[in-house]
Amino acid sequence: MAEDKLKLYEERKKRYLAAMNLEKPDKVPIRLSLSEFVAKHAGYTLQEIYYELEKNIDSINKLLTDYDLDAITGAPSLWWASLHDAVGAKYLKFAGRELDPNTQFQYHEEAYMLPEDYDAFIENPTEWILNTFLPRLHEELSEPGSYRANVSLIKGAAGMAMQQGMNQKAWATWAAEYGGVPAFTAMSKAPFDTLADTLRGLSGIMLDLYQRPEKVKAALEVLIPHNIFYGMATSGGEMEFPLFMPLHRGSFPFLNPKQWAEFYWPSLKQVIEALWSKGKRTLFFAEGNWTPYLESIAELPEKSIVFHVDMTDMAKAKKILGGRFCLSGNIPNMMLAYGKPEEVRDYVKRLIDEYAGDGGFIIDAAAVIQGDAREENIRAVIEAAREYGVY
Amino acid sequence: MTNLTDELSIAIAELDEDKVMALVRERLRAGVEPLEIVKKLQDGMTRVGELFETGEYYLSELINCGEIMKGAMGELEPSLAGGEQKYRGNIVIGTVKGDIHDLGKNIVVMLLKGTGYNVIDLGVDVPPAKFIEAVKENNAPLLALSVLLTSCLDSMKEVVEEVKKSGLDVKVLIGGPIIDDQFREYCGADYSSNIASDGVKYAEKVFG
Repeated sequence: MAEDKLKLYEERKKRYLAAMNLEKPDKVPIRLSLSEFVAKHAGYTLQEIYYELEKNIDSINKLLTDYDLDAITGAPSLWWASLHDAVGAKYLKFAGRELDPNTQFQYHEEAYMLPEDYDAFIENPTEWILNTFLPRLHEELSEPGSYRANVSLIKGAAGMAMQQGMNQKAWATWAAEYGGVPAFTAMSKAPFDTLADTLRGLSGIMLDLYQRPEKVKAALEVLIPHNIFYGMATSGGEMEFPLFMPLHRGSFPFLNPKQWAEFYWPSLKQVIEALWSKGKRTLFFAEGNWTPYLESIAELPEKSIVFHVDMTDMAKAKKILGGRFCLSGNIPNMMLAYGKPEEVRDYVKRLIDEYAGDGGFIIDAAAVIQGDAREENIRAVIEAAREYGVY
Repeated sequence: MTNLTDELSIAIAELDEDKVMALVRERLRAGVEPLEIVKKLQDGMTRVGELFETGEYYLSELINCGEIMKGAMGELEPSLAGGEQKYRGNIVIGTVKGDIHDLGKNIVVMLLKGTGYNVIDLGVDVPPAKFIEAVKENNAPLLALSVLLTSCLDSMKEVVEEVKKSGLDVKVLIGGPIIDDQFREYCGADYSSNIASDGVKYAEKVFG
């Protein structure tokens, strides 16, 4: 590691960790949740970053050369499309295959798990996933045990290992050559989201709440230890940085308050508390609006989460959660795509003036930054944060 | 707020599935005009939309209501065949090209159908030409466009521009969680909203 980059890495890391510990760093840290924007910045099509791991990784090298960021969320594409093609994933659509070369990837939601699958899932989730769910979700696995299915399992597993290996190497390079600090080092989900996202789908889970609430509860019980384990396994022993938890169906107005308190919150709370008891903090990436639930979220142990604000009322979040958890986010993605740099500067200045004063604050966009964000607006975020964000 | 007096309308507004199904069967047996039963279901559905708007109902209630409605309509279908259903008007709807999200759109469709409109749902990832063709074919005075991804907003703008260029006499309503007035102006649409129940409100405006 070059000495100046090592120094830069340590400075940024200290700044980022201090904010999450509710301390006042030297400057307000900047962590931008950048995805497809990074490809555009580097001059790659989306098809290129989805299908070519080298380009997906290289786009971050360019980003770190041009922009001063305290924490980064990693290569723009979480997926390696070739890997999903190898197993014939039906639930993902990629640029260059089903979509135009510069179109954002898409997730095709359906109730892939059926109501009658609950018992088998609760009995042994892993067995059910391998024997029933994966074949349903992947064209190549549709006949379990067949030559074709066996080959695709080997290809899929090998692809996953290749992707993980390259990403791991990339993180070492970003740190050593660019002073790039990871925004998080593990991932997990709310048990209700695990069940409601890919398994039952939104309509499926909503009906389950009325027609088979006991099955839903039993499935959530099974998922609590799984999601804790998944978080610890993906952290690989790294305990300084938080775990990324994108939160979906708990946002307003999916569930009514009674359903939220009964089905969404208890299992999520248990996962976050268990992770925290092992020393792992959660980046509570609250997508959508969580304003009605702030009081409940405040019950979590102090500093156990970073509360990320998308459409949640920022003033209320500060009032209820401030001083207890670090807050981040809230720069509207519409503004980054369709606004002017002056508007962005004003917004960032206001965020810092009103919410960052006593520390415990991280600059970020409200939601993940896609290809529609304008270069000049991203630059404006960083410049304004550096100009006004010195303590 | 709709004041419900009919037992069936109240049952659907209260999401009482068993009671809804029992009443539908009972009324069919008693010889009540199937369209009259549909009308009562729609009144209850309208009330559900209102309760969503005022924050008393959430998405879970809306989706559940849609399922109950589907079941009731399934029961009615054989008796409805042949009968001339009167609609309040034709509305073309779809999610714009590049976007395959349909949760919001489906709720808008459900509420519009529930309040008596003939909804031509083009699905997701719909190119501009297909929207225009459907508006022409159905002589629809209202076109509703849905979007979730900010990266697909330009695709929405393109549809609005094409529609305006075509000279068709149709109002355009755009909807999605990220849609605001600024974007409505940018894209040149007539109406915009980020609340599903507003679809019915704007339809009332167009169809009077």
